[in-house]
Amino acid sequence: MTVSLVYPPIGFGLGLRASHYEDILNGPRRIDWFEILSENYMVPGGKPLHYLDRIRAEYPLVMHGVSLSIGSTDPLNRDYLRDLKKLAERVQPAWISDHLCWTGVAGKNMHDLLPLPYDGETLDHVASRIQHVQEFLGRRILLENVSSYLTYKRSEMTEWDFLRELCNRADCLILLDVNNIYVSSVNHGFDPIEYLDGVPADRVQQFHLAGHRNLETHIIDTHDEPVVDPVWDLYADALKRFGPVSTMIERDDNIPAFAELADELDHARHIAVETLGSGTHSRRRVVPA
Amino acid sequence: MRRRLPALQEDFQSYLLSLSGAMEQEIVSDTLDARMRLQIYADAYRLRLIEALETDFVALRAALGPEEFDRLGRAYIDANPSDHYSVRYFGRNLGRFLAQTDPYREQPVLADIARFEWAMTDAFDAPDANVATVADMAAVPPNDWPGLRFALHPSLQRIDLQWNASAIWHAADKDEALPAPEQAEYPVGWMIWRQGLQIYFRSLSVDQAWMLDALGDGQNFAEVCEGLTEWIDAQYVAGHAAGLLKQWVTDGLISGFIN
Repeated sequence: MTVSLVYPPIGFGLGLRASHYEDILNGPRRIDWFEILSENYMVPGGKPLHYLDRIRAEYPLVMHGVSLSIGSTDPLNRDYLRDLKKLAERVQPAWISDHLCWTGVAGKNMHDLLPLPYDGETLDHVASRIQHVQEFLGRRILLENVSSYLTYKRSEMTEWDFLRELCNRADCLILLDVNNIYVSSVNHGFDPIEYLDGVPADRVQQFHLAGHRNLETHIIDTHDEPVVDPVWDLYADALKRFGPVSTMIERDDNIPAFAELADELDHARHIAVETLGSGTHSRRRVVPA
Repeated sequence: MRRRLPALQEDFQSYLLSLSGAMEQEIVSDTLDARMRLQIYADAYRLRLIEALETDFVALRAALGPEEFDRLGRAYIDANPSDHYSVRYFGRNLGRFLAQTDPYREQPVLADIARFEWAMTDAFDAPDANVATVADMAAVPPNDWPGLRFALHPSLQRIDLQWNASAIWHAADKDEALPAPEQAEYPVGWMIWRQGLQIYFRSLSVDQAWMLDALGDGQNFAEVCEGLTEWIDAQYVAGHAAGLLKQWVTDGLISGFIN
């Protein structure tokens, strides 16, 4: 018998955004689950937590953070971990994710997902921090591949080799951002299929899809546009390699009407059905008319 | 010799903060050179934080105009790098920065607008709490009143403003032409709070501001009445104080009565 490393899949989701709260609560149910930006709800009270509790009562949620700074050489931020755990107790998320990056040192926060050099020193450092975090939270976490715009001379391995080794050492899971693979493949000139092939299939828990800005010389990961066709194509490749992985679309800026994003997510469902066949992927509930 | 990870991260961060240092030699130059690749991060660092400020300081941006606001944002970012895990708190020192830094301190209305807007931000996601009702107030036995203390709602923000920041905010919020800056003769007390999910603000007379602060400091009803005699005739003071309390209970500003 094979025991799955990952949590059970939960279907197709969207990022939870404040401008959609009322549509989500009052409109037709078109989404299986939502991903929250953890920091947006790591506040004392008021509107964010009010809507969080109401939406959680009706939908599964996953927590996605930007401040863990797992690769920083500063000590782990204990206040952050404490607040994250407190939020997780409230939300009871299907899982918790953050990014394979660092966000600052010397007590400062650049509020950006800064890339890490991929070498043995970084591997040792990050693996041991992931183990600490997982122990503290009492669960496996997912780390997401970030879009990057530079390569360090000291890097000794590819990002996918680094991710694979990290999963082995730290027993963590992967949030595979398909758009970020595409963005980085253009920015660094690698083959995105080679990336997919290098990622350990048994560790991939979630996919991200998002839009970006192509500036010709390079691509900036902006999350302010619809998903582009090459990323949809890569998504189909990812489905072929990894199977029915829980999928969501991130839109952080230039946020359209909820129905428009739900339509875009339907396109992801469509690709999944075309790629994997029906009945293998969606957990979408059918609400009787 | 290869540099260790802490040094690399310090160099990278220094580059983001000051656009200088040794970082360039650590980066591969290929289709884009190392400087351009680093610049993408340096630009994103500032743009992201300026966006955060734009969200929290809509009226300040309207008062300054987008270009001047951008310049202010960059000066503030350089002077106050974020030290909190959440970008939510990045703007918390902007009012003080405006009050202390040239050329902004020559226009003190700017600091007042920033302080007013930040108070609304703090009221927005302050802790939730019980709200006392007029019935709760009526149920307090008369003998308990002199020693009675009051828990204020945790969303309450008390600030004093010398300038017409609220009128400027109002106009900016409605996307209307802003009124000219106007200075009051004395600083005016304001309370900003959340009732339900809605943010409210109101100016206070001198005695009201004093009383609200006294309640917040834990003074009991008798002590508050004593203090109010500075402005109110002693024979009317208990009724005056009870009237204000009733208003604030109705406003959702009082979380409880403490015997």
